[in-house]
Amino acid sequence: MLVDDEEDIRDVLDISLSDLGYKVFTAKNGEEAFQIFRNVNPPIVLTDIRMPIMDGIELLQKIKKENTDTEVIMITGHGDMDLAIKSLKYEATDFITKPINDEVLGFALERAHERISMRQRIREYTENLEEMVREKSARLVEVERLIAVGQVIEGLSSATRNIAEDFEGGITYFNELPCLVSIHNRDLEVVATNQLYKERLGDKIGCNSWDAYKEGAGRSAKCPVGKTFHTGKGQRSKETIQDVNGKEVPVIVHTAPIRSGESDVELVLEISADITEMNRLQEELRTTQQRYQQLFDEVPCYISVQDGKLKLVATNRQFKEDFGDEIGSYCYSVYKHRNEPCPDCPVVKTFESGESQQSETVVTSKTGEQYNVLTWTAPIRKADGEITQVMEMSTNITQIRRLQDHLSSLGLLIGSVSHGIKGIMTGLDGGMYWLDTGMEKGNQERIEKGWDVIKLMVGRLKNMVLNLLYYAKERDLSWKRTDVLSLAKDVASTVEPKIKGYSIEFIHDFDRSIGKFEVDTSVVSSALINILENAMDACIEDKSKKSHKIIFSVTQDKDHIVFDIHDNGMGMDRETRENIFTLFFSSKGSKGTGLGLFVSNKIIQQHGGSIKVDSTPGQGSHFNIRMPKVLPDILKNKVNKNAQSLTIE
Amino acid sequence: MAKKILVMDDDPTIVDYLVDLFKDNGYETCFAYNATEGFEALKNEKPDLITLDLDMPEVAGPLFYIRYTKIEEFKNIPVIVISGLHVPHRSIKKVVAALEKPIDREELLGIVRNTIGEGSSD
Repeated sequence: MLVDDEEDIRDVLDISLSDLGYKVFTAKNGEEAFQIFRNVNPPIVLTDIRMPIMDGIELLQKIKKENTDTEVIMITGHGDMDLAIKSLKYEATDFITKPINDEVLGFALERAHERISMRQRIREYTENLEEMVREKSARLVEVERLIAVGQVIEGLSSATRNIAEDFEGGITYFNELPCLVSIHNRDLEVVATNQLYKERLGDKIGCNSWDAYKEGAGRSAKCPVGKTFHTGKGQRSKETIQDVNGKEVPVIVHTAPIRSGESDVELVLEISADITEMNRLQEELRTTQQRYQQLFDEVPCYISVQDGKLKLVATNRQFKEDFGDEIGSYCYSVYKHRNEPCPDCPVVKTFESGESQQSETVVTSKTGEQYNVLTWTAPIRKADGEITQVMEMSTNITQIRRLQDHLSSLGLLIGSVSHGIKGIMTGLDGGMYWLDTGMEKGNQERIEKGWDVIKLMVGRLKNMVLNLLYYAKERDLSWKRTDVLSLAKDVASTVEPKIKGYSIEFIHDFDRSIGKFEVDTSVVSSALINILENAMDACIEDKSKKSHKIIFSVTQDKDHIVFDIHDNGMGMDRETRENIFTLFFSSKGSKGTGLGLFVSNKIIQQHGGSIKVDSTPGQGSHFNIRMPKVLPDILKNKVNKNAQSLTIE
Repeated sequence: MAKKILVMDDDPTIVDYLVDLFKDNGYETCFAYNATEGFEALKNEKPDLITLDLDMPEVAGPLFYIRYTKIEEFKNIPVIVISGLHVPHRSIKKVVAALEKPIDREELLGIVRNTIGEGSSD
């Protein structure tokens, strides 16, 4: 179909298209064209864009809505590029520009044809594919059905075969049992016995069913086998039998009817368990179990047995002592206080591979202490080889790791500290240079600048030395009940002049009714000051914002005092954030020793508290410090006696 | 025209110190706290000499050196390494001198004089 409002063009193109072998329908605007389109549904539409009443773009949209397969080629005037592009957006096949060159028209039509035939092929193929899938699946269903029928027949015939087989063969299965097994017929005669029966009671085949019993009510047609034939139901009773040596043996007798095809009981299976034998076995089992339990409990490891869902099935004494009696809880929640399994879980790997695994990890005890543990796992298999549980043994190597940490960190310490000191000394050089030249030139500003730098550097040096001392010597907490507000105020007043000196806004927001908490004031103050100074450094280093502020707030919940320190400084990337509490990690280049936050974190942890960090690079950081109002007993116990005597209120 | 020195160190105090020291001795200066700012300064300020700290966050000194010497326009700018670290000679090949912090002021000025000449006395 050809659509154009100019008659000349319609005529010329009509001739060209007819020459190319097309049957042409013409229309002079979109509206007329759409009528024709609905009637004849032409595969290719060639339309001008600028037309009265309904333009080419609107026509294109309408046609595409009606039949997306229609190839629509747009004819555009010069300078109508925008419209041409717009039409491509509405899925026009192509566009050609006026004046129309026959060759270009030919190419455009050729492309349209290609697309039509391509689409047809794809459709055929898809339809074929569907047909193929239908055929294949029908065949599969048929095969499945045959297999199912076959299985049923197979099952039935093998069942019949088993029934037909003689009971002698069947009874051999019972030879393994530590019980006396016999089969009896309707005439109350023994027809088969297992090996143990023969050994203990002699060859009773052909004897009466009650023959083995001691004199009494049992020794008659009213014996358990007789009752079973009579009632058709399995029996259970205590009887006494006499063995080949005449010794009386108390037994528990179970009987079970064996029916033929109809409901008649054809045979009865009698199983007699020797109570003394059972007791002996149980006793033996118990001692073995006890021995294992002892081993299980006494080894200096944490042992747990876990099921496929990582639930604790059994734990040893050592485990219970440090992690609580948590049978039925998930391993990861008890060991790591997590809500989901740990990545690279060795137990999961053992379940998967059936091989034992080794790994090292850090776990948290019920009192919040962290232990480094070396973990081995071993699969526990059922008789058929399926792994039902995994045993995990963890050795506490915290002491060894601590020692190693200490040693390796001493090496690091020397490097890090000498590096830090070099930076400080260069800064001191600078300060002295300003002082010297300032005095030479009588420049007061320089003298003050020099003096400030020297003060700053001495401050850094002091911090470094204090941190070193703290690191070098493990120090007990010397805690007392302290007013939270006054501690917070002291901390704020220490850092405030410095922070304001850098034109950083410093906001405090303290809960006035916050009361007291148990704390070692001097160390916790220095930890908070350290974090605040880091916030300050983050603001100084951040060149992207005009103004900076640090918010220091103190709040409380039921059992905790919560300090929050927000800054809008440079922020940290994820790696920095995860490493800030690592010894000797510093993002401050030559200015940091990597001791500050390590020590701060240690101080807060020593109080049974925690530090959480949120940060976005370029936006700022948030340190959230939670400390218990009352120190846990286990932490208090480590406190030296002198400190305790000070706490009488 | 006075020669210009680009001071690169992540510690603002040290940058401040070196900038004042060079200015007092008749050199023009510009500075950068990190590699990104360093490239900015190279483009905008066209320095005649660079003093470079090795231990800077993000892009450390050696990497900065390797990157800027790949650029034709900048590859012949002499560099003096001033660092708290022992200078790794292998990574920075064409270094004029390597000084370890804390630096000897006169030694540094001497090296600068030998490299780009006397500062202009005003």
